[in-house]
Amino acid sequence: MNLSYYLVLAAILFTIGAVGVLVRRNAIVVFMCIELMLNAVNLTLITFARSTGTVDGQIIALFVMVVAAAEVVVGLAIIMSIYRTRRSASVDDANLLKY
Amino acid sequence: MIDAPDFSFAALSPLLLVLGAACIGVLVEAFAPRDVRHPVQVGLALTGTVGAFVATLLLAGTREVTAGGALAVDGPTLFLQATIAGLGALSILLFAERSLDPARSAFVVSAAVPAGSPRDRELVTTQRVQTEVYPLALFAIGGMLLFVAANDLLVMFVALEVLSLPLYLISGMARRRRLLSQEAAVKYFLLGAFASAFFLYGLALVYGATGSVRLRDIREAVTAESGGVLMVLGLGLLVVGLLFKASVAPFHSWTPDVYQGAPTPVTAFMAACTKVAAFGAILRLLYVAFGAAEWTWRPLIYAAAIISMIVGAVLGLTQTDLKRMLAYSSVAHAGFLLTGVIGFGAGGDGSGLAATMFYLVTYGLTTLGAFAVLTLVRDGDGEAGHLSQWAGLGARSPLTAAVMSLFLLALAGIPLTAGFTGKFAVFRAAIEQGAWPLAVVALLASAVAAFFYLRVIVLMYFSDPVADGPTVGVPGLPTTIVLAVTATATLALGILPGAVLDLAGRAAIFVG
Amino acid sequence: MPAEGLLAASWLLIALPLAGAAVLLLGGRRTDRWGHLLGTATVVAAFLLAVACTVQLAGLDGRAADVELFTFIATGELDVTAGLLYDPLSAVFVLLITGVGSLIHVFSIGYMAHDPARRRFFAYLNLFVAAMLLLVLGNSFVALYVGWEGVGLASYLLIAFWYTRPAAATAAKKAFIMNRIGDVGLALAIFVMFAQLGTTSYAGVFGSVGTLAGGTITAIGLLLLLGACGKSGQFPLQAWLPDAMEGPTPVSALIHAATMVTAGVYLIARSAPIYDLTPTARAVILAVGAVTLLIGAIAGCAFDDIKKVLAYSTVSQIGYMFLAVGLGPAGYVAGLAHLLAHGFFKAGLFLGAGSVMHAMDDSVDMRRFGGLAKKLPITFVTFGLGYLALIGFPFLSGYFTKDAIIEAALDRGDVWGWVLGGVAVLGAGLTAFYMTRLMLMTFFGRPRWDDGVHPHEAPTVMTAPMIVLAVGSVAAGALLVSVFPLADWLAPVFGEPAEAAHVVAPALVGLVVTVVMVLGVLTAWLFVGRREVPVTAPVRVSPVTRAARNALYADTVNESLFMRPGQWLTRALVWFDNRGVDGAVNGLAAGLGGSSSRLGRAQTGFVRTYALGMLGGVVMVAGALLAVTAG
Repeated sequence: MNLSYYLVLAAILFTIGAVGVLVRRNAIVVFMCIELMLNAVNLTLITFARSTGTVDGQIIALFVMVVAAAEVVVGLAIIMSIYRTRRSASVDDANLLKY
Repeated sequence: MIDAPDFSFAALSPLLLVLGAACIGVLVEAFAPRDVRHPVQVGLALTGTVGAFVATLLLAGTREVTAGGALAVDGPTLFLQATIAGLGALSILLFAERSLDPARSAFVVSAAVPAGSPRDRELVTTQRVQTEVYPLALFAIGGMLLFVAANDLLVMFVALEVLSLPLYLISGMARRRRLLSQEAAVKYFLLGAFASAFFLYGLALVYGATGSVRLRDIREAVTAESGGVLMVLGLGLLVVGLLFKASVAPFHSWTPDVYQGAPTPVTAFMAACTKVAAFGAILRLLYVAFGAAEWTWRPLIYAAAIISMIVGAVLGLTQTDLKRMLAYSSVAHAGFLLTGVIGFGAGGDGSGLAATMFYLVTYGLTTLGAFAVLTLVRDGDGEAGHLSQWAGLGARSPLTAAVMSLFLLALAGIPLTAGFTGKFAVFRAAIEQGAWPLAVVALLASAVAAFFYLRVIVLMYFSDPVADGPTVGVPGLPTTIVLAVTATATLALGILPGAVLDLAGRAAIFVG
Repeated sequence: MPAEGLLAASWLLIALPLAGAAVLLLGGRRTDRWGHLLGTATVVAAFLLAVACTVQLAGLDGRAADVELFTFIATGELDVTAGLLYDPLSAVFVLLITGVGSLIHVFSIGYMAHDPARRRFFAYLNLFVAAMLLLVLGNSFVALYVGWEGVGLASYLLIAFWYTRPAAATAAKKAFIMNRIGDVGLALAIFVMFAQLGTTSYAGVFGSVGTLAGGTITAIGLLLLLGACGKSGQFPLQAWLPDAMEGPTPVSALIHAATMVTAGVYLIARSAPIYDLTPTARAVILAVGAVTLLIGAIAGCAFDDIKKVLAYSTVSQIGYMFLAVGLGPAGYVAGLAHLLAHGFFKAGLFLGAGSVMHAMDDSVDMRRFGGLAKKLPITFVTFGLGYLALIGFPFLSGYFTKDAIIEAALDRGDVWGWVLGGVAVLGAGLTAFYMTRLMLMTFFGRPRWDDGVHPHEAPTVMTAPMIVLAVGSVAAGALLVSVFPLADWLAPVFGEPAEAAHVVAPALVGLVVTVVMVLGVLTAWLFVGRREVPVTAPVRVSPVTRAARNALYADTVNESLFMRPGQWLTRALVWFDNRGVDGAVNGLAAGLGGSSSRLGRAQTGFVRTYALGMLGGVVMVAGALLAVTAG
């Protein structure tokens, strides 16, 4: 099977993630969209690992997972704290700082 | 049998010192009794950063690639690490200031307590001080030190996250105006994660094009022109990720909001250190890995520099909050710094690199000092950041106004201050590389930006004080040290820049 | 050669008074109690250091020391280093500035004792001393220029020291503006040097100035002369100096008599290698000197304000110095000797005038003085010695130095030598006249002061400096000519003194000058001393007197030639500025402000908008890069 299919799929997933960041309001969902982007990159990395015949890509994907996990911890902590204060997880409500 | 990679502990000692201090800091947080935590944490953080600063000085002249080729310890690395460690130590001092806020700290006691709840109101007036910020800041500084040494895209990515994640957290830890602070943290976090996703995608594409993430391998592939479209797209996305951190327009939109919302010492830390780290990485990526493709990325950086200078200078004009104004100033300065990046030139003699590094030192010191002054001027609800509150400050507190004027003049680039020398150096480097249109735009932007800096000075000295104006706090020892060091350095680097310029000039060679 | 030992520390000379000024200005009222003592101490310390440095310099081969201070900017072609040059010429000036400066600081302790702003006064004086030392010690025209502007600033601040008086504020502004005209000349000269020679250091400029075209050298010389004229109150920029007497009297003594106004002479003497190449510029210097000498002397005869008379006398005496340095190698030493002697006696005379004013409730009208010799004995004696020195009484300092200038002029041997010598001799007669008139009206005759004025001698802190200066006035000339010959001391700068072939025997010159001087004194006695001095100035006077009273209409000329057209031009420019420039600037500012708020609206505060902006940026970057690679 042609490897480029995987690349295209990854690109589509990445784009879906990026668009999701733009259109979704709930901070958790926005965050999940970013995770989708990271996973799309993981797919790209593994595909390239296969195509270039090196293992670096797979190792990098593992690194990315760890980093993403750390990001989840930090991100959820921040989103939780603002949710407790505002009783809302909508990113559009956090709109005091502007211009 | 696989050999373990060579690991030069000596060359990595700055990094190890800071990250080691950060890990011990976590343990202190867990096990030390509450009343000794603050002095222990501050001592630990200062030991780590000052130790790292001294270590970089001792290492001066080292040029090696270590950790299996993942880290480069060379002139620019050490110069920028020294800058980050030094500015980091000063920021830690700002964090540690206890005599300005009646509640003895600029940081929230318990970030988990909802803002505005009864428990929160109760805690705001207690004199309890939380100390998680120190290990977090140390991790961020460690990440920055790693960032400028990264000789490998993966290490660069990890360093980017290590420096960013703690920053997201401490942005949200203001003691007062917590709503703004939390908003800043959310915005910074979401946009930062968004930007790192792009960086990572760029990494993946470059990996696909070359089969490696080592900068050296990438350079070989670029020189052989074997990368194709993947390589170019990858380069673009990597640069986007870095420009975001350096708050270059059009990736700057987080900057004003986060700078305004974050606790002022944290803003000072971000403005000074993050910028140094981000530009260190930009320079290394562009010149070590993609030097041969200079004519591909040059127009991109050129345009980003112009947009950044114009956006920063023009938007700064109508700001009424000083922190926000300094944030736009930071955007404009990012554009000036990119002018120096252009001035480096692959065929150049390193004067552009030296100029950019010098500019980073001067900008870091000046902006840190300016934010430090901001922490002094307070009203009942924390810092008084609104411009109107600064009217007539020169009459009420001449010394504060004079120091602030010095920093503002330096940011505007008036001669005999560090800002002038830095601007002069980067503009000259750009002109030598034939980028004189960029230098012309930079001069015009400087003129526009000078307006809003000078407006503050005019306001301080030539306006009548407002009736219920803010009070000017008497700084404790930490802030006094920060103000003395930054003000002296701002003057000294303006009048006698020779030594540091020389140092930057000698350090300005990347190890390949 | 590079400086060693104490000379390497000669930057302290500038740093000490500068630090004093900084402490006094920044320290605010906290330093009120001891500020004047600190201010005096820094200058005295600088004087002691200067003496030590000069002693060391005297033992040095070649008698010059370069003090490399720091590199300000060293990039490519622009290499701005700051350094000092301690050579015999600057040493002479440093000693004069710090020596007379110390005395005047001491005097000011007493003179300004009752002024609430005494600390500010000392801060400015210190600032002046620092700037003046930089002016004479700098090793490049740029350093000189920095000091030049510094003394201009200090002079402005000090003239306007009593800024609540309209006259003082106006005088300060006048001095500032007329100095500006000269400064523009100096700045242009430096620009030309840098553009043509790529350097502004003395060594560099003097080494390569010969390679320039004659016209360029003349232009540089004339521009430098314009600067010198502005600072030294020479024709046609002389009118500010008498008005500058609105400042406190110690300022008049230090800045507007002994030191700053001689900066022009220093500049021309320092630039000797340039003027050696341009006889045209040198002829202009001669003309300026001769004309100013006469204008000053004539105007000095008519004024009733004691300080104005002394001020015009200063203008006239500096005219002598210009005349001397305009003569070239033959006159440099004579001019500088006169400068030093003048520094002593004129400072002493001004301090004496200050003491008189102190006694007379700050009155300066000589018609209201009279008979003060008995009331102010010390002032009378010291002032009298300064007077004798100034008019060239035999064997006092003015006698030696003025004669030397006249001899040098005559030694030219041509007809111009006779003309210049004649003018100088005539000037000597006029000097004797107006100074005798001043003496007679102030110290002799019937007391004419108002009721309620009780003249009293000044305190010791004021009289002591006057005595020192009087001794200096008496001795300086003989010392400089015979005991420590200035010509030998300055030989490393101007070359060995040539044994001039005298056209007229020096003894004869001395005799003629003395006779003319005595004639002047007698005339003054005939006109003033013999008769009762009217308390109000007579209105019906000859046109000559009227012209002299109006300082030969210098202000009128300035007004009609420069001020009125200037005002018209200003009005036209203001109109243009309002309509054209302001329109453009305001339009630009409004445009920027408008675009700022419009751009600011993009900063909506919504994180999703920001993300959209970033994504747009990414798409642009990707598109641009693809376009670049594809194209």
